Amino acid sequence: MTEIKKDIAWRIFIVYFAVCLFGLAIVAKALHIQLVEGADLKKKVQNRTLKDKSIDAVRGNIYSSNGSLLATSIPIYEVRFDPNADAITKDLFNEKVDTLAWSLSELFKDRSPASYRKELIEARKKGSRYHLIRRKIKYTELKQMKNFPLFRRGKYKGGFITIQQNKRERPFNSLAARTIGYERKDVTPVGLEGAYSKALSGIDGKRLMQKISGGVWMPVGDADEIEPEDGRDIYSTIDVNIQDVAENALMKQLETHQADHGTVVLMEVSTGAIRAIANLKRTSNGSYYEGYNYAIGESTEPGSTFKLPALIAALEDGYVDMGDIIDCGDGSKQYYDRTMYDSNYDKGGWGKITVQRILEVSSNIGMAEIITKSYSQNPQQFIDHLAKMNLRDQLGIEIAGEGKPYIKNASEDTWSGISLAWMAHGYELQMTPLQILTFYNAVANGGRMVKPKFVEKITKGRKVVEEIETIVLNPRICSKETIDKVKLALEGVVSNGTATNLKNADYKIAGKTGTAQIAIGGSYGSNKDSYKKKRQVSHQASFVGYFPADNPQYSCIVVINAPSRNVYYGNLVAGPIFKEVADKVYANSLEMHKELESQPFYANSAIPYSKNGNKADAEKVFKQLNIKVQSKAADNDWIMTSTLEKSVRLEPRSVKENLVPNVLGMGLRDAIFLLENQGLRVKINGAGMVKSQSITGGQRIVRGQEIQIELS
Amino acid sequence: MRGTKSLIDNIDWVTVGLYFILVLAGWLNIYAAVYNEEFESIFDTTQRYGKQLLWIGTAGIIATVILLIDERFFSTFGYLIYGFIIMLLVAVLLVGAATKGATSWFEIGGFKIQPSEFSKFATNLALAKYLSTLNIRMKDLKTKLIAAAILGLPAVLILMQNDTGSALVYGAFVLVLFREGLSGNFLLIGLITAFLFVITLVFQNDVYQLPFEVELTGGWMLIIALFIMMGLVFYLNRKKKQILLFSTVIFIACSGLVKSVDYVFNNILEPHQSKRINVMLGIESDPYGAGYNVNQSLIAIGSGGLTGKGYLKGTQTKYDFVPEQSTDFIFCTIGEEWGFLGSFVVVALFMSLLLRILFMCSRQRSDFARIYGYGVAAIFFFHFMINIGMTIGLAPVIGIPLPFFSYGGSSLWAFTILLFVFIKMDADRLEVL
Repeated sequence: MTEIKKDIAWRIFIVYFAVCLFGLAIVAKALHIQLVEGADLKKKVQNRTLKDKSIDAVRGNIYSSNGSLLATSIPIYEVRFDPNADAITKDLFNEKVDTLAWSLSELFKDRSPASYRKELIEARKKGSRYHLIRRKIKYTELKQMKNFPLFRRGKYKGGFITIQQNKRERPFNSLAARTIGYERKDVTPVGLEGAYSKALSGIDGKRLMQKISGGVWMPVGDADEIEPEDGRDIYSTIDVNIQDVAENALMKQLETHQADHGTVVLMEVSTGAIRAIANLKRTSNGSYYEGYNYAIGESTEPGSTFKLPALIAALEDGYVDMGDIIDCGDGSKQYYDRTMYDSNYDKGGWGKITVQRILEVSSNIGMAEIITKSYSQNPQQFIDHLAKMNLRDQLGIEIAGEGKPYIKNASEDTWSGISLAWMAHGYELQMTPLQILTFYNAVANGGRMVKPKFVEKITKGRKVVEEIETIVLNPRICSKETIDKVKLALEGVVSNGTATNLKNADYKIAGKTGTAQIAIGGSYGSNKDSYKKKRQVSHQASFVGYFPADNPQYSCIVVINAPSRNVYYGNLVAGPIFKEVADKVYANSLEMHKELESQPFYANSAIPYSKNGNKADAEKVFKQLNIKVQSKAADNDWIMTSTLEKSVRLEPRSVKENLVPNVLGMGLRDAIFLLENQGLRVKINGAGMVKSQSITGGQRIVRGQEIQIELS
Repeated sequence: MRGTKSLIDNIDWVTVGLYFILVLAGWLNIYAAVYNEEFESIFDTTQRYGKQLLWIGTAGIIATVILLIDERFFSTFGYLIYGFIIMLLVAVLLVGAATKGATSWFEIGGFKIQPSEFSKFATNLALAKYLSTLNIRMKDLKTKLIAAAILGLPAVLILMQNDTGSALVYGAFVLVLFREGLSGNFLLIGLITAFLFVITLVFQNDVYQLPFEVELTGGWMLIIALFIMMGLVFYLNRKKKQILLFSTVIFIACSGLVKSVDYVFNNILEPHQSKRINVMLGIESDPYGAGYNVNQSLIAIGSGGLTGKGYLKGTQTKYDFVPEQSTDFIFCTIGEEWGFLGSFVVVALFMSLLLRILFMCSRQRSDFARIYGYGVAAIFFFHFMINIGMTIGLAPVIGIPLPFFSYGGSSLWAFTILLFVFIKMDADRLEVL
């Protein structure tokens, strides 16, 4: 018995021992984890789980002066899929994968359902938890995807993960692209986006976030949060319609002359507000795009447009008067080792003409004579006078990259005996188109020089945060008398000078042509050798002026660089663009119009004729005119109209992505809008209503393709 | 007959008290583990803590009923209950619902019942009944085989449900058999096998540079070590001739085991199982895969420190870093929020319960009650050891619940039945002749 008892006793002892041993082991291990490794593990938790995450503020919009959206931020999404989410069982996955693959293929149309299916199955097999479905998904697509099988179960049950990003979008695409600009990471910001970056970008918020399982960050409490402050909106001075005209006119002219690049700037005389600023550059394949802000950034020798400041200096300093007679000789004149030519050299030159006439016909020799005679004793006086008119200063505009004006002092090494003569007609010095324009604008403004202005106001919601005031750079660049004198001469340029092709019956234009030679390879232009060997020389044709001449409202400069078809005179190359922009502005500005005489009233037709076009616009007009409308186009943006006896019928015209739209019967504006939005390049002939289009509606679009439309 | 008064007097209130404390603490911890600010009430039955309260309430009713049933009911119907449960285990294979890869649930209405939880109780009952039959001796081969069959049948069925963890629990009954007279050699062989298995896993991939440019893998090194040990044993006992034969057999068996570890590991175990073992042994590090649970659990427990972060303040816990936290990994909530002190108290409570049960076993007059009691202790011990062991990285991850703490009705009911049947037997012990 005792044997058995002993046996049982030690067995019980072993069982007790095992139990206690393990109990001790657990306590020891727990002690070790919690007290010895505890500090490290605690840190691990913090590192892994808590973080101040910034919440992006929404960037403000940029509007045109008339309220059109020029730049805005739209959300785009990245969609990822967790095929191994806990809630997606094998059965569920297998059941849904086919329809999911089919839906994806149907939505994106880039790959077959089978290929999507394979991808999804492989992702699940690989154990992926963050499989990329697609980047850059639009909101509308995302909305559709939210209804896909599996995806509709949401993030945790369906593994549907979306990441929102903001993309900057310019609704008018390339319109004023460089001036609106952009701001990207690691790239020097450009244009207004860069200049007003601080106002636009707002202040990012902060939020204490905690990481939870599955790599998801979740906000902790509400206390430590800093709300993001959304960016301000900016109303630029740019007028979309004028900008559009300016760009198209520039484009047309650049194409005609196969020029390298060009720029157009339209400025409001009294305020300095820039209503349009277009810059186009030829690409290697011959099309044009806005790639650099030449108006602001490119300093070149202005050529004849500089004759105006030179003349003003001489007039102000009392060396000459408009009526003085100057001998311009036979069209060529030797200055030390170099010969100067006038444009009518082959016709025997201008001979003896008045100072006013010199400006009107743009005689180089005449101007050189005036300035050398006036200032040869004290050349620095000329330079100082130019400086007094702010010509040696940058304008100090907010957009980055303004070119520096270069006008040298008489004491500088490069100063020579011919410097005065050449500076008199715009060589041996450099200025940007915008700087020249600002000077002419000052003349138009009665001597008051204002700084070009790109932004009218900064708003937050509907509240105006800041009105941008017009800054006066120089209240009076010269006397009133001098202004009146040169204004007369500038009008003469158009009425019977170098730019008679701009003359028109409706309103008067005053301005100055400029035809500068730009040496290719660095040497200064206008020397005899380079003048003869035309191939080595490139030209810069410009026209700068203001209108209407008797009550200036707008000033405008056009500079075309390197036209290559042997036509390089400012009036012929740059003038037409000026005219087209001016016409458009004139047509839109009622204050410029003289009062019309009353028009005969046609009582016979009760309903006016209407063009096809945008439905919303058409309906608005009909409503204003109290014309009855029978609309059959409920959901369409574009309509065809047919005039009935007492009403107008609207029928839908469908516009589809990637198909050439049918623009027959539409007005030019609607037609261009539709065609260019689809990526076509539009060439226009005639005016009025679209009568034919070179590619018929409904065909597939090749991007960048040219389409010609005839209007009548 | 016996009155209610004597029943109340005879119930072991210490055990009942421990049970009550453990269940209550478990409930509070589930509240912390799945704490949801939207449903703040701990009584909210749409949440796990609310449901757990329902399970606790019903468990109380079950416990009361058991205490009122005649003790002889269990000894009489032991085999019947066992048979019924085996039927359920078969049935669940045919019509059961799958959860996390295991087909071990009956779905009835909104509720799920897991028969494998109850089969521990039934198996224990059947084993106790068999071993307490007159003229049964543990030394007989037949007894061993029948006992093994009683244990093996449910274990195999549960294995077929793909619930390896629950099946392993039946290994715990070896302790009962040992107490009832099974030779210690079985335990020893088991321990040596496990030891060799682990040692081989750790060393087999190492390569040793020996003199004379001989390279040996860890496996061969182990065999050489075994050979030397055998030689030593033989030398020390060189007068007994049988020892030579005996040690040779052991050497061959052990060498075979060492060489077969690879095969077992790679071909018999499921990949996730071998991976978990590797992670536990530190052979492989996979903090985001197989080791994710343990890693997160260690971080949770470790960040608790001495006194913990405070009730409902655990961040690892609150943001669901640790999967299965309200069920298998409930212990890390304790570690994170109550710190070492909390963990120590919980371990102490469980140890007290185990030692109390062992103490109660030794005062039983009937073999049936005593064996049943040891079975109860063995099951609790195994659950306790493996569950806490895996949360703190001492044992491989085997998904079995921590009694009274882990969320789940089936498990709470099953452990309650298991324990209260023994409390009832204990209360009636004086009436057994």
